[in-house]
Amino acid sequence: MDFNTVAAEALNDPNIQANLHGLYKGFHHARVDAAAATPGWEEMREKAREIKAHTTENLDHYLEMAAAAVTRAEGRVFFANTAEDASRYVIDLARSKGVEVVIKGKSMLSEEMSLNDRLAEHDIEPVETDLGEYIIQLAGETPYHIIAPAIHKTREEVAELFEEKLDVPRHHEIEDMAGEARRQLRQKFIEADMGITGVNYLVAETGTIVLVTNEGNGRMCTSMPRTHVAIMGMEKVIPSMDDLGIFLRLLIRSATGQRLSSYVTTVTGPKRHDDEDGPDELHLVVVDNGRSRLLADPELRESLYCLRCGACLNACPVYRKVGGHAYGWVYPGPIGAVISPMLTNLGDAKDLPHASSLCGACREVCPVKINIPRMLLYLRKELAQGETYPESRRSSVVERLLMKGWRLSIMNPLMLRLANKAALLAQWPLARRRRLTWLPGPMGGWTRYRDLPAIASRPFSKRWRKMR
Amino acid sequence: MVREPSHVKASLFVTCIVDQFYPAVGESTVRVLRRLGVDVNFPSGQTCCGQPAFNSGFWADAKPVARRVLKMLRGDRYVVVPSGSCASMIHAFYPELFHDEPGSLAEARALAPRVFELSEFIVDVLGVTDIASYGESTGVPDLRKVTYHEACHLRRELGVTTQPRTLITSAPGVELVEAQESDVCCGFGGSFSVRYPDISGAMLQDKIEQLRETGAERFVSCDSGCIMHIAGGMERQKVDVRPMHIAELLDEYLDQE
Amino acid sequence: MTGNQTEFLGKLRRSLGRPTGAPPLAISDATALGRDAGEVVLRAESIRERAQEDADALADELETAAGLAGWKVARVASTQDAAGYIADLVRELEARSVVRSAQAVVERMDLEDVLSGAGVQVHAMAVREGSNEASADEQRSAMRQHAIDADLGVTGVHYAIAETGTCVLLPRKGTSRLVSLLPPVHVAIVERGQALPGLDEFFALQRADSIRGDLGSYMTLITGPSRSADIEYTIVTGVHGPGEVHMLLLG
Repeated sequence: MDFNTVAAEALNDPNIQANLHGLYKGFHHARVDAAAATPGWEEMREKAREIKAHTTENLDHYLEMAAAAVTRAEGRVFFANTAEDASRYVIDLARSKGVEVVIKGKSMLSEEMSLNDRLAEHDIEPVETDLGEYIIQLAGETPYHIIAPAIHKTREEVAELFEEKLDVPRHHEIEDMAGEARRQLRQKFIEADMGITGVNYLVAETGTIVLVTNEGNGRMCTSMPRTHVAIMGMEKVIPSMDDLGIFLRLLIRSATGQRLSSYVTTVTGPKRHDDEDGPDELHLVVVDNGRSRLLADPELRESLYCLRCGACLNACPVYRKVGGHAYGWVYPGPIGAVISPMLTNLGDAKDLPHASSLCGACREVCPVKINIPRMLLYLRKELAQGETYPESRRSSVVERLLMKGWRLSIMNPLMLRLANKAALLAQWPLARRRRLTWLPGPMGGWTRYRDLPAIASRPFSKRWRKMR
Repeated sequence: MVREPSHVKASLFVTCIVDQFYPAVGESTVRVLRRLGVDVNFPSGQTCCGQPAFNSGFWADAKPVARRVLKMLRGDRYVVVPSGSCASMIHAFYPELFHDEPGSLAEARALAPRVFELSEFIVDVLGVTDIASYGESTGVPDLRKVTYHEACHLRRELGVTTQPRTLITSAPGVELVEAQESDVCCGFGGSFSVRYPDISGAMLQDKIEQLRETGAERFVSCDSGCIMHIAGGMERQKVDVRPMHIAELLDEYLDQE
Repeated sequence: MTGNQTEFLGKLRRSLGRPTGAPPLAISDATALGRDAGEVVLRAESIRERAQEDADALADELETAAGLAGWKVARVASTQDAAGYIADLVRELEARSVVRSAQAVVERMDLEDVLSGAGVQVHAMAVREGSNEASADEQRSAMRQHAIDADLGVTGVHYAIAETGTCVLLPRKGTSRLVSLLPPVHVAIVERGQALPGLDEFFALQRADSIRGDLGSYMTLITGPSRSADIEYTIVTGVHGPGEVHMLLLG
């Protein structure tokens, strides 16, 4: 389904519009308050950006360091080139252990891998345990937002979903629905043979996996089953334990405005011999899946600094109108408009870099100051001219001709004056009291919602003569 | 009070939208600057800064246009632009555009510090905040409440937020009412408004409601693109808030006879 | 190093324009990684000293932040008072079964004794000393079931963080991961001097520990009850972890 079709559905759905607007009033404002209440916030952003830049420039070194540390802690590390390689590793592992039920923490990477589908194909039951992910798993949908996957659903929709899919009496209160999820999932936590989580940060120095959650499902997935598998986008590594304070504050306060999430959990290898509980095995799967393409392009490399906080989504006036599904792949919003095309196919995703007013709100709120508008302009340049990625060029002949025509008029004031005269003539039948209320063709997009002032018969450049 | 002619020399870069659609804004800009003692000239042959091509990704077409502007604005005069987005284009994005052309890059970098949006120029360079004191009257009749629409590039690329507000409130009796969600884009975004009209229209609807709810008689902006978009929607819906470019407002503050 | 690691990292090096891998890593000043190990250890010592000196002020800060984060906070003068608090709580909850860690502060509370009169089962989540492998496994199975069935979990903490209102548990021998996770209510006992000013101080101590030896397999930072806002932003508690959490500040 293409961008405009899905966007139109969202635009015409008052419930979705209300829920998306709630992101501005809720998460966005909470972030503003939390940032204002954190001493040294701006310095932290700058520092974190520097650390990310350094780590990314030395990603090979830091991943090597991390892998050695995880191995020292008796964890196992697998490096996966593609999502498919990663899925195969997880499935082979699960099958070798006779795993029947897998409990999953929230992981956008697992969406890249379509991991739930892969598991199901091999008769392994994947159970999403994050409440939002649980809801969309029941609904057979993809996440709508990086932090709050089911934010587009009203309570009535959730109630209906639970009633239908879980075969339980219909709940009316949100508290009861959450209680239902708790009940349903508790049994799964107990019987699961394997827990699969994402990774918020991997500390290279110690090989420590850091998980940020609020519900406790992350703790469940890393403590109840015999085997814990952590899947990670390769860019999630940070150098030292000492860096964690800054990165946790930036991530959590940018995402929800909380000082700290209910749970921050760290995992360094499987359980030690005399731990009272914990998994016997820890597997870390480090995934590329196209990220090395971003790494290789100096113009796009900083997209790998992303902490996946969702602040840019909450701040984006376009995302708040079209919602997460319009972006067509795993990552929506401003950061998604850069990485979704580059991790899949730029030419096929040509709307994403263009469907932006370049307002810059995303850059303003990004905890690591990623210059998303700059990258959008770069991708637009590639779509128009195809310099670095010739296969991505998508500009039509008409568009290119129009640009040439525009350029001709702009380079030559005489040409512009002629164009002005032509426009005056063309608008004459359409203008009523110096306003146009209808324009033909693609320009009709303007007049669908707005009047247009008529072109002035005496432009400023003519009036200047009297003013000098 | 008329400010003594100063040594401040500025070139007006009028912008294509003002030139073609709102020439009165250009006239107001010149009058206001002159009243503040600025020696204003208008380099001839102005057309456009090149932003439409740049934003659409046609940098090969934007470059010759921008080079022409660089040449036109050579010298040591300030360059005053009655538009946040065009000022940003020259100040912030020309260096981007020419990142791989050392000669033009150097020119762009040399030009950037001289380029100012109008309200920024008046407050930061001329040091004028009580602009109404340069006018003849003690107030603007029939003007009580004004609201200000913050253009995105002005705010985020140029960091200009207080200057327009300072100037708006400098006329006695004028109350500035802030709109809800004033940091949110109006939905213009240049070609975005035509490529994605429904999204642009939805963003516009929110903005119109927020501006109307202030109860202000006028909404003022430093960007004619935003004004064209918002005013165009307000007219369609017969919303009774009069759009004004800041140059026109200041002209009104000054030009009371 | 496995074969696929070499290939994977090689691809990254080529992407970064460093096909040979050289130059080796030069650690930037931006990250703390480059700090000398001796300096890290010294800093940790100084942090511990300050925590003792500022114990009272930090306890006050902790109380405020914890309250904001959704803990029910109470000051108790002694371990007996702490046990009394828990007895009251057990009555209020009509709890039948309690699990506890085997940390020293919890041992001192003698909950088995205090709650025996109320007909409440108390299970210590710790494998008995000197157990063999098979017995340990059996005990762990049983303990897990106790945690699943329990109405209340009681633990001490290893640290608390005043900046955020956080309790830190470092599960290891004597401290189970599940005590503070499975039951619907969790009580955490914080002793005087355990509170640190902020996240940076806490992670500095962890780093020093990792330099000196094993960091341990797990760490959990708990800041209030389990919560979710996934449905229409409405905050609900107790989605998977405990919905009710009590912090008792001792001394």
